[in-house]
Formats: sequence, C-alpha cells, structure tokens
Amino acid sequence: MINSLQLHLAKVFLKIFLRNRQAILFSLFFPLLFIGAFSFSGGERDPFLIGISDGSKSQFSSDFIQALEREELFTILEGSFEELQASLEEGEIEGFVVIPENFKDISDLGVLKFYVDASQTRQVTIIKQALNNSLVSVERNIRNLSPLFSLEIEDVKARNQRYIDFLLPGLLAFMIMNLSIAGSGFNIVEYRRRGILKRLFVTPIKPKDFIVSIVLARMLIVLTQLSVVLSIALLLLDVNIVGSYFSFYLVVILGTFIFLCIGFALGSLAKTQEGIRPIVGLFTFPQVILSGVFFPISSMPEIVQPIVYSLPLSSVVASLREIANDGSSFFLFSNPTIGVLLWVIIAFVISTRFFIWKEVAK
Amino acid sequence: MDILKVIDLEKSYIDPDTKDHFKAVDGISFEIKANQIYGILGPNGAGKTTTLEMIEGLTDIDGGFAYVKGINVAEKPFEVKEIIGVQLQSNEYFDSLSLKELLILFGKLYENDVDVAELLNSVNLIDKINAKPEELSGGQKQRFSIACALVNKPDVLFLDEPTTGLDPQAKHNLWKLIRHLNQLGMSIVLTTHNMEEAENLCHKVAIMDKGKIITEGSPNDLIAKFDSDNTEKGNLENVFLHLTGRDLRD
Repeated sequence: MINSLQLHLAKVFLKIFLRNRQAILFSLFFPLLFIGAFSFSGGERDPFLIGISDGSKSQFSSDFIQALEREELFTILEGSFEELQASLEEGEIEGFVVIPENFKDISDLGVLKFYVDASQTRQVTIIKQALNNSLVSVERNIRNLSPLFSLEIEDVKARNQRYIDFLLPGLLAFMIMNLSIAGSGFNIVEYRRRGILKRLFVTPIKPKDFIVSIVLARMLIVLTQLSVVLSIALLLLDVNIVGSYFSFYLVVILGTFIFLCIGFALGSLAKTQEGIRPIVGLFTFPQVILSGVFFPISSMPEIVQPIVYSLPLSSVVASLREIANDGSSFFLFSNPTIGVLLWVIIAFVISTRFFIWKEVAK
Repeated sequence: MDILKVIDLEKSYIDPDTKDHFKAVDGISFEIKANQIYGILGPNGAGKTTTLEMIEGLTDIDGGFAYVKGINVAEKPFEVKEIIGVQLQSNEYFDSLSLKELLILFGKLYENDVDVAELLNSVNLIDKINAKPEELSGGQKQRFSIACALVNKPDVLFLDEPTTGLDPQAKHNLWKLIRHLNQLGMSIVLTTHNMEEAENLCHKVAIMDKGKIITEGSPNDLIAKFDSDNTEKGNLENVFLHLTGRDLRD
C-alpha cells in the first residue's frame, strides 16, 4: 500500500521537522503550558469547602456531619446560616447545607437544604452526589443495614469528574487539530510560495505520493507530540484513561487524518501566506469555542447543539472523552465515533477535490 | 529526428484587470534537432516561460501540440517528465537538507539511485556536498539546480533564464557547463533575454514577442539578415531591438 518513494519522502519530511528545533518546542509549548497551569491549580485535588448549619444538634445530624467529614471530597465548616451565606457569596465556600430543626424526629426528618452559587453547576452535581452518599450511610446506620454496594465505586466516579479529566481529552483534540492543520495547510502554502511544489511537479511524482508521505510524516509527529503531553498529564495530574489506549489512539489517528486532510484543502484554497491565517482561523476558532473543548456542549442553547455536534472537532472531542472518561470503546460505534468516521470520509474527499497538483503547484 | 516538436501551441489567460482573454502564447511552432542548444529570446512577458511550462507539463496546453521525443505531452505528461530535466527560475528547496540529501531525494522521484559525488563533480560542487542550498552563492545555486535537473540523465534539458542575476565570472562558468553538457549529447532549450548568451551558446534561436515567434535562425544568420547595415560587426542585440522595438516592457 505504501511504496518506497512515499516512505523515503516521509523520512525526508521527518528529517526536516526534527532539524527545526524551534518548531518542536513551540508545538509542545502551549499544551504543556495548559497542563502546567492545571497541575498547579486543579492538579492537587483540593477538597470542596462545604458549610453546615446544624439547626437540630441531634444524634442524626452529628452522624451526618461525621459521615461528610469522612468523605474525602469535603472539608466541613460549621457556622450559622447568615455567616455561611456571606461566605458563599464571597466565594469562600462551594455551598452549604442547612439541617432543619426537626432532624431528630425519625417520623418527620424534614428536608435538608443545600445552598449553592448557581454558576458552579458542574461541581454541584458532584457535591450533591456525595451528600446523598453521606445521607445514605446515615440512613443505613439508623435502619441498621449494611451497605449492599461498596462506596469505593462512588469514590472513583467522583475522581473521574474532576475538571482536568474532562478537559484533557478536549485539549488533546484541540492539539491534534492545530498541529495537523499547521502541518499540512501551512506547509503547502509555504512550499508553494517558494516554488518547491512547482519543482516537484516537473518530476514524475504523483500527487498521491506527495500527500501520503506528508500524512505519514505528520501523523508520526503529531502522535509523538501528543504522547509526550499525554504522559506528562498522566504522571503529573494523575489523570486516568478509563477505556483502552487502543481505542483512544485509534481516534487520535483518525482525528489527525481528518485535520491533515482539511489542512490540505485549506492550504489549497489559500493562495498566499497572508491568506492562509484568516482561513485557518475561521475554521479553527469557532470550533475551539463551540466544540466542547473547555465546557460541555450540553450547556449550550439547544437550538445550536445539532450544528455544534456535527463539527469535526466536536466528534473527535466527544469520542476521545467517552473513551477516556466513561471507558467507552471505539468499536461500540457510538454517535461521536460515527461522526469521526464520517468526517474521515468528508475530509478525504474535500482534500482530493481541492488539492489539484497543477493548481496548487503554481 | 526532432527531439522536440511544437505545433501551433497556444495558451490564453484572463487579464485580472480588464477581464479580457489574452494569448500569452499565440500559435507558435518550432522544432529542435537532437544535440542542439536552442534559445528562446524575448522581452519580459513575451511568453517564453509559459511556452516552456506547457512543454514540461506544468501548464495545460490550450491549443496545438507539443511532442518530446515523439511523445505527446498532453496525453502522456508523466512519460515526458521521465525524460526531461527542468531548471526553473525560482530555485528553492526544502529547508535544512544538504545538497547530498536533496539529490538523493530528487533521484527517488525518478526511482533512480543517484551517484551524488559524480553529479556534484560534474557541476563542480563536490566540496559543497554537505552544505545547504541557502549557503551557496548565486552561481553555485544555479549549478546545483542544474545538477538536480540531471538526476534522471534527461534527453532534453530545459533552462529558464539560467544566468539572470549572475556576475560575469559565474555566467561564463555556467556557459561552460551548458556547453559541456551539450557535448555529452544532451539537447538543451533555454530562455534568456541576454543576447550575448544566445550568441555564445545557441545553435539556433527564436525571438518571441507578444506570444508569437517573430523570427528564427542561427545567431549568425539573424545578424546577417537584420543587422547587416551596421558598419561594425553586427550583434544579436541590435537584431533583437530592431525586431521587438525599443519601447520599455513591464
């Protein structure tokens, strides 16, 4: 399938890349900067600071508070309703629980109220879950039941929902997009400007050989860069990829292929070096904002969601995320995976349509 | 046998300003015998480069035919590319590769294993084998780009303004190389607007203007024909100006 010319050319492209130290450093700089920032802030699992206003001072409420204190996720701060409300508004605590006065009467325990800052919705789900867990364990004490299910599972789940776990697959997909488009698109335009493509075109090389060799070389480069960033994240941030690495890398490879092809198309569209930047910007910038790299697409207005879900970066992000966070497999062919496969076809078709040797070589 | 035959070759472009079609190459015909050095002369914009690019398969042929060694360029461009060597006006290469690596790469494009030392020897660049093209002088760069055009041992070598921008020493050095290659049996087609070059090198020249060949012949014949009133020994430059006029070209 891959001939010796393609292999030789791919080796040449790799050699060119490896001799350009600056490009190597720059391509790793931003992702590592991101990860560095997270290793200082989000990396150490800071427990949530939760306030408790205990209105009942009963056996149940102290059991409940003890149960919460055992929960690794929380640091507990007791105080009056007014104090806690002030702290919450100041942003000093993540939320507080108000235990009602009648939290001693087994026939009518009343309702626990949890006050939060609505802008912190993601954390609220995690906290709510943990609060429920603690309530369940108190309830088991009261009813004298031993737990049917181990609490450990809940612990793991809570850990997986840290923001960095959510962010990392998105960040990697973002990196794949940028490196691939730069690798094909910017290179094409640069080679054309300098007349290198024209020089190649007077030799009997077929466009296919040229494309295959660039794709091969760039694929290897992107995979290496990505693996460096991923291993640093795994070591430093204690991130966990729940699904198989095989599935994960399969999506990475397909994602790289998608954006390399799109890069070829954009590079063929842009006639000049000045032209390529806005075109690439127009393509990448909305996707970075919309494709769920930094926050989930489901938090966007419903009307735009179908469009957003169909973007190529969204498919890659969602696919990587479900493998990394939820332990899904590529071979379950979920919607995001099918999206990735569809984009592989679309990207390949548009790249071969736009990358016309005669036109591009001029 | 004619190594190159061009019949009624045509290329039109759309003028970006006026949106009008204009013919960059307007129905030219010529043939080149094997082992000749053939010069295409003309002012800027005469259509010289476009003519070469059509024969090399770089640009589509709008009308007419071009045959290299009897092979129709439009029908079998890849077969033609196998037997020609091309030096373009711009000579840039992939970054950070040495002359040796570039020649090996170009060889691979023809599925050839290149004898790099022999090739660099022939263009007198053997001591630069590990240098990068950007480290070469203008004349060295031109010699290197000729070396690149020789990797497939071509039957016809196309040189587009090979001496433009070179100092006299480098120019004469390059002429020597071109003559040497011709003596080895290679047919050479070159474009130039340097009349001295055409007079010195070419067995036959065609003067092109506004997409047409206005005259063709050996430099001596042309001088005898168009510059014979001159009291001193005539030269091709006078012939050229006589035929293309003295107006400035852009």
